[in-house]
Amino acid sequence: MELLDPAILLQLLISGLLAGALYALLACGLNLVFGVMRVINLAHAELMLVGAFSAYLLYRFFGLHPVFSLVIVVPAVFFFGYYLQRVLIERVVGQPLLSSLLATYGVSIILVNIGLLLFSADYKSVPAMQGSILFGEIAISKPRAVAGLISVALTLAIYFFLERAHLGKAVRAVAEQPQVAAICGIDVRRIRMLTFGMAAAMAAAAGVMLAMIYSFSPISGADFIQKSFAIIIIGGMGNFAGALYGGLLLGVVESYVAGFSSSQWAEAVAYLLLVAVLLIRPTGLKGTAYVK
Amino acid sequence: MKRQSLLSVLFSLVLAFIIFPAVSQAKEIVVGASAALTGKYARNGQDQLDGFNMWVEEVNARGGLLGEKVRLVHYDDESTPATGQKLYEKLITDDKVDLLIGPYSSDVAMAASTVAEKYNFPMVSSGASATEIWTRGYKNIFGLYTPGSTYMEQVLEYAKSKGLKRVALIYQNTAFPRDVANGVRAKAKALKMDLVFDEEYGKDSTDFTSTTIKIKSKKAEVVIGASYLPDSTAFVRQAKENHLYAKIFAFAVGPALPDFGANLGLDAEGIMGNTHWEPTLNIPGAKDFAQRYTKKYGREPGYHAAGGYGAGQVLEAAVKKANSIDKDKLRQALTELDTVTAFGRYKVDSNGMQIGKPGYTVQWINGVRQLILPAKDATAKPVYPFKDWSKR
Amino acid sequence: MLNNNRRRVSLGLGFGLMLIAMTAPLYMNAYYQSFLLQLFMMVALAQAWNLISGMTGYVSFGHTAFFGVGAYAGALLLLAGFPWWLAVFKGAGIALLLAVPLGFLTLRLRGPYFAIAMLGLNEVGRIIATLWVDLTRGGDGISLAPKLLPSLHSNYFSMLFLALSATLLVAFIHRRRFGLELRAIREDEEAAEMVGVNTTVNKVMAFMLSALIPGAAGAVYAMYTSYIDPSSVFAPALNIQMIVMVLFGGTGTVWGPILGAGIVMFLREMLWAQFPAAHLAALGVLLLIVVLYLPGGIISLFRARQQRARPDARTGAAP
Repeated sequence: MELLDPAILLQLLISGLLAGALYALLACGLNLVFGVMRVINLAHAELMLVGAFSAYLLYRFFGLHPVFSLVIVVPAVFFFGYYLQRVLIERVVGQPLLSSLLATYGVSIILVNIGLLLFSADYKSVPAMQGSILFGEIAISKPRAVAGLISVALTLAIYFFLERAHLGKAVRAVAEQPQVAAICGIDVRRIRMLTFGMAAAMAAAAGVMLAMIYSFSPISGADFIQKSFAIIIIGGMGNFAGALYGGLLLGVVESYVAGFSSSQWAEAVAYLLLVAVLLIRPTGLKGTAYVK
Repeated sequence: MKRQSLLSVLFSLVLAFIIFPAVSQAKEIVVGASAALTGKYARNGQDQLDGFNMWVEEVNARGGLLGEKVRLVHYDDESTPATGQKLYEKLITDDKVDLLIGPYSSDVAMAASTVAEKYNFPMVSSGASATEIWTRGYKNIFGLYTPGSTYMEQVLEYAKSKGLKRVALIYQNTAFPRDVANGVRAKAKALKMDLVFDEEYGKDSTDFTSTTIKIKSKKAEVVIGASYLPDSTAFVRQAKENHLYAKIFAFAVGPALPDFGANLGLDAEGIMGNTHWEPTLNIPGAKDFAQRYTKKYGREPGYHAAGGYGAGQVLEAAVKKANSIDKDKLRQALTELDTVTAFGRYKVDSNGMQIGKPGYTVQWINGVRQLILPAKDATAKPVYPFKDWSKR
Repeated sequence: MLNNNRRRVSLGLGFGLMLIAMTAPLYMNAYYQSFLLQLFMMVALAQAWNLISGMTGYVSFGHTAFFGVGAYAGALLLLAGFPWWLAVFKGAGIALLLAVPLGFLTLRLRGPYFAIAMLGLNEVGRIIATLWVDLTRGGDGISLAPKLLPSLHSNYFSMLFLALSATLLVAFIHRRRFGLELRAIREDEEAAEMVGVNTTVNKVMAFMLSALIPGAAGAVYAMYTSYIDPSSVFAPALNIQMIVMVLFGGTGTVWGPILGAGIVMFLREMLWAQFPAAHLAALGVLLLIVVLYLPGGIISLFRARQQRARPDARTGAAP
């Protein structure tokens, strides 16, 4: 069958990895927040859309290329997240699961409906970059390649920040032992604000990348947040690197399932994987457990 | 105990306010409709509503219906069948409207039409075209749009005339696209063309990368998408990125809407699509309507706007013919009516399905949407074959 | 004594509401009956959710899975020629049976894992309904003709019955040992196990009961709307509404979900026509206020007063 052609297999792999890189960037932010404060941020995908719509506005009115608008959008959303944590999320940290779910859900519906009021439900896109690079039979879309590479670069940058930088180590300390961290003189509240700001910035960056590739509307978030859930379950909740692997894995699996079966099954894959992983190995494939 | 009775009294008072709304009103004819103002069909729903409103304004300027003023009552159905169902219940039983226009989209119309049928209330349905709406034996639903299963017939016939054989079909998993897809399968079979690819996709899909790669490997000559605007746009963009080439690309909803060209720019060039109406059509009143609409709303009318306006005109003609707003007389008038509105001819079969109006095919040529099929209404000759992505 | 009084107020209020609900079709037009029908549906769903999530603390994000299964089962059985009440009955039964294996599998998971697993199950349900075209007709959805459908009155009273039985079920369980054990699981599952509560059986029982009601409600809903498709019944948004209503009113209480459903539904009804998008944003703001300042829900406003009168009373509402 023509699908077993190595060129097609490679093409599917590449497009899967590029899509997966974007998933990973989004899911890592979600997992970071969960890891540090045990809050599932239901507004995460809406923060992504804030990024996407900002990129749209900057492109539309100032002709700014999305890659450059990252420089404006990412810091702006970082501060938005930073202060959102301060006024709202901080109050539900350490509360029962439902409180944080509902608080973030509240933020999510407020953002979605402000989006609807401002932009209506029309699909928007930012066609700043087009075309593709050809390697013989294989075509790689330019915007996807750029989005995928930037996503990986950002995710790795945050990863090394957490691993190596002094401040990053503080974030991990708060994630693992908040009390001990506090005793050691770490300003836990500030670290949480920093964490949420970073996660929001990652979501916004993912949004800017998304704007280059897909069309989106204020109600596009639902699909992405559900996929992100699947990714962090697959990779292990609270595990930053796990979300990176999970995102790439989901991208590739989706791509192959769509290639060999149908795109409808590809959309199902995330949920089937999610349910399967939970039933067989609730701690995720990476195996770092979050114990209640 | 005391608090309990106090509460009951309060509650009954609140209820009383709800139950007995103000009744006294001047004599007028009330037309009810729901419009998709939020949700996934918001854009098309707004266009259609603009069409209704324009008709109401104009009919009143002409002296109203049966000498009475016409008023439109409309609500937002959020693009969901359940809300649409609730709203038509409200329009019929609570607002007690005199005339009814159907909602945008086949799935909302499926739910709304059952309410109309239940109350035996004739409804002129604009913006819905799934064949199934008219194959359920209902007696009260009168369609304006050409049924979905016939959408792609012209394109396939044209492809056949060019000697093309290999057809790829993709369709969204909701009622209307599935209907279009059924039509494509039947027509391809009748024309002895090979359906080399046939795949359904989810309704929120925006990523067609793998699909385009697969179609490419099947060497399809004709690519048909039974899709809505967002998915059509996304598909074209990704077809280009993955260098999917075919001699003909055609989409059900999308290419006929102004947004399609605006979003895709040069990439829209050569793409075909279905439409129910174009301002350039040789229909009495069409051009004039387009001018008045553009003047009023500041943008060119798409076919959903014209459909909305046409629905009003059909109602107007039926009321005149029946010389009454009595449901039975109106139903009969709508069944027998054969008229031409700014939207085109209206004539239905015994189930209320539109049979008088042909479908049309458009193509983007040099940045302008041109009507190419059927030949007698064409404003330009079809451009064939599709120009390769890299050569534009 | 005060407890007695409170109970009497509850009973009186309950009877008053029931009387209004029972007689409403006599003086209300079809639209207001439709509105009440939807209100009853939300009360029933909210109570069902309350039963598992409010009492045991296992937050379900996918109870609409049972609603969807019930809706499809009900619609298909109706098409197959069963009388509507039998179709509802069987729809509920299928949801109940499905809850047994699903309960054993998912309730092993804790906290967010359970929540997300349920969300995933709902999506799996939607996917099955979309892809199993031979049975469900896929994305075309199922349209039920008027001659098959029960009258609005039948649907109205079915939903009323469901809301009432769901509420009574919660009230009944609340006062029994079973309810106490469920709440013990919420407070500390290990400790509950230690003192001899069979947590697995309890949880699965609660889960089954809480699946039964959405199953039946889904079937009635299908007969009421006459048209269902995969995304309109396996709808995560509906699940969120149940949660919001319970939280709004007061988690783990009998009156909370009724109060929450009533307030949210009336607010929506008053606002949506004028402000299609804005009213949902307002709901979000309201939600934040409740979460931040009124964690026990609106019912805690009433409770607080009683607690001043009865210093020994245990906190009624959930954390």
